[in-house]
Order: sequence, then C-alpha cells, then structure tokens
Amino acid sequence: MKEFDYIVVGSGCAGLSASLELAVNNRKVLLIEQHNIPGGCATSFVRGRFEFDPSLHELCGVGSAEDPGFVRKMFAKYGVDIEWCEATDCFRVISTYSDGEPMDVTMPSGKEAFIDKMEYYVPGSRASVTKFFALMQNIQDGLDYISGDKIDPREIIKKYVPMVRSGGYTTSVVFDALGLPQRAQDILSVYWTYLGVDMEKLSFLHYASMVNTYVTKSAYYPAHTSHEISVKMTERLRQLGGTVMMGCRAEKFLFEGDKCVGVQTNLGAFRAKYGVLANINPDIVHGKMVPQHLVPRREKKIAAARDRKLGGRMFTAYFGLNKTAEELGIKDYSIFLVGTSDSVKEYDSLKHIATNNYAIMLCYNIHNEAFSPKGTCVVSFTTMFTSAEDFNELDEKEYFKLKTKMAKRFMDLLREKAGIDLSDAVEEITVASPYTFARYLNAPEGGVYGFETTQWDGIIPRTIEMTMGLDYKLKHLYTIGTNGVRGDGYSSAYTDGQILADRALAQFEKEDA
Amino acid sequence: MALEFKVRSLGGDLKRFVGLITDREHAIKKAPEKDVDPVFAINENAKLLHPDYQKMVIQDIIEHKGADSKTFVFKKADGSKAAYFRAGQYVSVLLKIGSSLVTRPYSICSSPAEALEGIVKITVRNVKDGYAAPYMLENFKVGDEVCISGPEGTFYYEPLRDAGHVIALAGGSGITPFLSMANAIREGTEDFCLTILFGSRTEENILFKKELDEIASQCSKVKVVHVLSDEKKDGCETGFINADLIRKYAPEGGYSIFMCGPEAMYRFAQKEIEKLQIEPRFVRRELLGVTKNVASLPDYPAECAGKTYTVKVVIGEQEQVIDGKAEETILTAIERAGIPAPARCRSGECGWCRSKLVSGTVYIPAENDTGRRYVDKERGYIHPCASFPTSDVVIEVPGSYMQ
Repeated sequence: MKEFDYIVVGSGCAGLSASLELAVNNRKVLLIEQHNIPGGCATSFVRGRFEFDPSLHELCGVGSAEDPGFVRKMFAKYGVDIEWCEATDCFRVISTYSDGEPMDVTMPSGKEAFIDKMEYYVPGSRASVTKFFALMQNIQDGLDYISGDKIDPREIIKKYVPMVRSGGYTTSVVFDALGLPQRAQDILSVYWTYLGVDMEKLSFLHYASMVNTYVTKSAYYPAHTSHEISVKMTERLRQLGGTVMMGCRAEKFLFEGDKCVGVQTNLGAFRAKYGVLANINPDIVHGKMVPQHLVPRREKKIAAARDRKLGGRMFTAYFGLNKTAEELGIKDYSIFLVGTSDSVKEYDSLKHIATNNYAIMLCYNIHNEAFSPKGTCVVSFTTMFTSAEDFNELDEKEYFKLKTKMAKRFMDLLREKAGIDLSDAVEEITVASPYTFARYLNAPEGGVYGFETTQWDGIIPRTIEMTMGLDYKLKHLYTIGTNGVRGDGYSSAYTDGQILADRALAQFEKEDA
Repeated sequence: MALEFKVRSLGGDLKRFVGLITDREHAIKKAPEKDVDPVFAINENAKLLHPDYQKMVIQDIIEHKGADSKTFVFKKADGSKAAYFRAGQYVSVLLKIGSSLVTRPYSICSSPAEALEGIVKITVRNVKDGYAAPYMLENFKVGDEVCISGPEGTFYYEPLRDAGHVIALAGGSGITPFLSMANAIREGTEDFCLTILFGSRTEENILFKKELDEIASQCSKVKVVHVLSDEKKDGCETGFINADLIRKYAPEGGYSIFMCGPEAMYRFAQKEIEKLQIEPRFVRRELLGVTKNVASLPDYPAECAGKTYTVKVVIGEQEQVIDGKAEETILTAIERAGIPAPARCRSGECGWCRSKLVSGTVYIPAENDTGRRYVDKERGYIHPCASFPTSDVVIEVPGSYMQ
C-alpha cells in the first residue's frame, strides 16, 4: 500500500487549500477527487462556444495587488497566480423597501463610496453606517485574532470589546442597536442569501466577516471561471511534489485501532502516515465511511442537533447569449431580483417552487468582455431553496419541465424588474437543480452551504469549539469545508482548509512524536 | 476615537457572547446520541437521474433487414426504472471485445416514458470495416447482460432556445434520436412540432418506416418526409436533402434545424443550410465522432503519419506502457490495451475522458476541440477521445466507474 504523509479526500476549495498548506510545509500529500476535474463547486463546463462558471458569484477577500486580502495572500504563499477581474460595484438590488416603496439601488465597492451612496439613498444614514463599518472591521480583526494559535483574554478586552458586545446577537438586533434607518437595513439585508440564513437567525459576526470584506476589499472573480483557480492549485500541488488522482472515490476510511491510517478507494487503498483530511460533509463521514463503533459520541450529538438542516439548495440557469451585454441593455455585474427586503418573509417564500420568485442575475462579461466570444455574453441566474420538501420526491415526468419553468421565471423576473429581455438571444441554456449539484458534489441535498449556520452553530461557536480543542474528533481524521469553522463560501472554505491543515500539522504529528 | 458599541448593559452583552459557547454546548448536550444517517432523498434521486452505470439485460432484438440494423431492447437487470432522459440523448455502451474494453455512444431510440418501465432501446447499424457495431450485431443475444451509462448529451429540444417548429435532417441510423423525440411528442412528454426529412437510399432501406408513419398518422405535431436518393417512389421525395426541400416543408415563420446522420450528409447539409440564412443558434447538430482519416486533415503533421509511439497510461498508482498509433486516438489505444477509461461522447466534446498530458505532444482536430475548457488548453489537459499522439506521451487518466 502506497504511503503518503497526508491524504486529502476531495478537491473542493477546502481540500485544495489544505493540500497546498501541507505541501508548502514539505509534507508528501495525496489529493484524491471522485470527479474527473478538481474544484467541486469551483469548476466550469462548456456548452457550444461558451464556458460557464457553475457557482462563483464573487470571491471575498482577494483585494487589489496593492492592498491584498487574505485570499490573495494565501494564494501568494502557495505560489498560485490567478488572473483576477474586479467587480467594481457591490450589487444592484431591485426590490421593495419594508415601507412598501420600490427599491432600485446600486451600491459601489469601497467603504467611503458605499457610505456616500447610502447617504444619497437614505439621507441621515451616514453616522450609523460609518459606525457599522467600524464595528465590522473590529469583528474581522478579532476573528483573525481568535482563530490564531495563542489567545490572550487581556488582548481581547483591550481591543475587541465591540466584537464581544455584538458577537452574541443576530444581525437584525445589531442593526437596530446601531440605529441604522430602516431603509438602510433593507438595503444591507440583501446579502443574506449568500449565507443561507435570514437576518433574524443570522449571527452578526458571520454577516460582518463577509460583508466587510466584500465592501472594503471589493469582490473578484477569475478571468477564466473558477476552474482556473482549481486547475492552478492542483498544478501547483504537483510542482510541490504532491500526487493528484482524479476519478478516485473514497469508499471507507481505514483505521488501526482508533487511529485513521488511510483510505480505501475504487483505485485501491492508500496509507497516510500522519492523517487524513476529508473535504466531505461530516454526516457522510460519520454515517457510512468509518467503523460505527469509533464514531465519537459528541459527533453523533452534533449531527443530531444539526438535524440535517442544510443552508441552501441552489437552482441555477446558465445562458449563453448571442448578443453583447450592451446590446441587451445589461449594465450591472450582479442584480439581486428580490420580492421583499424582509429576509424572514423571503426565506419562507424560498421554501417552495410555487412561491420562490427570487433570482440573483450575473453577467460575467461586465468587467471581463473576453469572458465569452466576441458579440456574445454569458448570464446566469441563481435562486436558493430553503427547504428540501419539494425535491424529496422525484417526479421524473415533471423534472425537465420544472427546469424550463424556473429558467423562464428567471427571464421573466429580469424583464419585469429591470426591463431586460433575453428571449431572442438564447444560444445555449443549461439548468442545474439541487439534483444536479448533488450529482456533481455528492454533498447532502446538493447543498453548497453545508449545515445552516444558525446562532449555536455559527462560525464563532464553531471557531471557539476548535480553539478549545479538537480532541473529541476521530483520531487523525478531520473533516474540512463548508461545515467547518468559517462556514460557507469559497473564501471561507479556502480558509477552513488552511486552518485545519495547520491544526493537523500541530496535532497529528505531535501525538506520534 | 475608540469605537463604542452596545446592545444592552455590558453584563447583558457579555452574557450573550458567552451564550454563544454555552448555547452550542447546550444544543449538543440535549441532542440525542444516535447513529448518523448519511442518506438524503435528494442525493438518492440524483443517483436515479445520473447513475454511474446501468446494468441491463437484452430483452429482445428486432431486426431491420433492409437497413442492415438491429434494435436492442435493454431492460434494467434488477427490474427497476432506468434513468429518465431527454429525447435525443444517448447512452454509452460498454463492450468487452477480446482483450479490449471499449465504449460506444448510441442515441436512445425509445421514449422517455419507457425508461420508467425500465426499458432503453438503441439501434445499431452495420458499419463496413467497423469494430463495435459488427461485434454487437453478431454477438448480442437475448438474455445477455450489458452495462450502459446514464443518459448523456445535449442534443435535445429546449423550449427557451429552440423555435416551436423543428425541421429534423436525418440520414440512415441518424433517425434514432428523432424517433425518440417523435415518441416523446406523441406521449406528451415533449411539446413541439417536428418535421423529419429522412434520407434513405431506397424505400426498402428506410429504418423504422412503419413506426414513423404510425406516429405521424396519430399525432398532428409530427410529420415525416422520406427522401430517397436511389429510387423514385410515390409519396416520397427524391434526391438529397437540400435547401429547396427544407424550404418546401418549412413552416411560416421561424424554425430550428436539428441534424443527425453520417459525415457525408453533414458536409452536404452544412452548405445547404447556409443558403437558408437562419440564425446559427437555430441550427444544432448531433456529435459526429472523430474523423477516421486524420492524416488527410490539412494541418495534420504529415511526418507523424504511419508511426507508432509509446503511450504511458497512469491511472491512480497503476502505470502501463502501451502502443499508440499516430492515426488512432489515444483513447482507442487505451481501450485496445483493455484499460478501463472513462469516455462518453467520443467526439472531443463532453470532457468525460479529460486527462492530464504529462509529457509529449498530441494533434487535436480543430473540429473536435470545441469542448475543452480555456485553462485546460493552457495547462495541457486533453480529451483522449479526440487526441492523436505525435510523440511518445505520458498521460494521467481518471478512474472509471463503469464496470
């Protein structure tokens, strides 16, 4: 049986960063991936003369070359060079204010510009929005501090009191405490769907850690789809002496006593000298991939407490259009086409096909004209289902009709709300349902957000749990990814992979010494 | 100025923050200790729609004497439903021929509703100097087990893209996806108008004549026009499918053209379609495979013709060095050596066989290089089904789940 220092199972965002973190620390790494391409969600597919990005809207934490964010720094550390495009506006949202008036606002990137624009839309909001940003920055710095190795409570009391005082509350409570005018709150609520939890359940710390980065560091995306990131990461891993195997599906984790020592796959068994990182949902790992008598009591109880509630199931339509964005009248990179700014009502309406009337539209050519051939553009629409109910029973005869119905609903939304009509320009169309995401990712319910990050299971409780020690976990086997300390999203997953790889380096080898 | 923030009193806020830890511990503590259930309904449904493979049994074989073809009726071996599909899609059939392990894509000619009864039908036409087709025609018997893939391919009707009326140009066994579409329209699975211009040599050669004429008589949305190249018959058109013929049967207003047939028909129809000046998005072609005569392509490196190179194939930790002829694809070389490799469309399009070219060079015909991703081209990832070796090569191939 071939032996490696570490085996990473799954080349999703967390698996890729974990592999590289181990490799730059001179460990011999095997990365296995069930699919024939790396990346999980971070991939692409081709239809006709178009290449589509299935999932990435915008990547948090890249920042400019002059003012790099944590993702750019991480990639620099790993020696991965991506051709980035900047999304210069945060978003446009077409919705309804909670006072019933129509909302159509476009928010720019950059803290000052964002505050100015908010003052323009919501006069009198400047002071509270400025404070909102100061609080988010404090939280972000504080989160970085408590994710580190050494934590001094005195340091927290000295620097991060605002984080502590806001940290226990949901986003809507903190918004009120900041005195944000209702209309400003309505506008700031738009990002909730990127986290899959409504504002009354969403931990403000989680919200702040994402939104602050988006606004202050701007959002980026790779020039050639997120497949570019995943391929370049695997290529770099090879350069660093790592081994990558595609079409290699983990079936079982191998144990000696209570210690994980390797992986059984369709291509044979492989041994890990120090340990295994699994970019797999913990319910799958603990439910069927390890000897049942070894599953820790606490893991069983965590699973029971989560009760299989997943954060979101995507329904996405991808359009290759034979006209340019300009010809079609598309000026924005992203438009949130939303029914109401009340996230609780919206969350409810996203439970069922009949009432789900939501979409985020993206046009990949806005900051990157060459994304598709000359004279064309690529547009995608995404909505989320906050319940699995309508998908638990498969009605084959209705399935393809449902895909068409949803895609048409997206086009109608864009026409009704933004006056943009795509119907005469459709050259390619592909629709991905939760089944499609489940097919390619094997993640529960195809849920790209993992388990819901509600208050007790948000990123802070998860981080604190890690800080207090991971001794309760299976020996020499960590799960990584969207259910990890940073929650969902590309940048969160990259960070989680890196953090857990560092923990493994510190923990797995210490026990052996 | 230091940032001041509070929700309640200092004590109240701290309590809430500490609550983050205690809430978690409380939630975990009160949860029952039970085995973790790894089964989710959506994932089980995804497997029904997209299985790794389907084990089938040949339930019946229908001979089409004049057309030198047979239809194989596959029934799901365990009696369950076969994967549902869109009329026009194909399955890949896995064949063990001698020591070779090969796959071949065949359009499904049965209807989507039949899949729910566990039935999938394909029609195989004999090919002169062929390999897989003659093998299947000679060897497949009722009761044999056959492994096929899930449904694949994008040659299907898409209401938000295609016109409400489709003119199908079919040649020979290229009728099969349209038979499936016609069936789907009749049974109500699909809703569009389909006029099939079906080219055959003689009336006796017409594949599925009875079935097609029957559907057309029962369903007003389906019309079939037989176009005979080698004989004149009442009720049939004579000659080849050209622009004038398409115009004659085209509806008022817009229409889409779907095309499936042999290479010669594609090359001829291509020029005819250009005369019609319809928007390119309304013209769709089923994949054609890869040319049998790669050395005849104008940009082929002539000095390679006739040579045999070594191909080192790496799958997982297994390595095997095999021969690769310059004028055969790398996938063909791999299959001849009996190495299981993932493959579906065999036209360079779908990317199922996407592999890393570790060293060496390959020739990829431009017409088969439409499916590779931008970064894959930049970083040396190839689709072996459409790549010909032009030196000794080392290639890393993904594992296959078909067995």
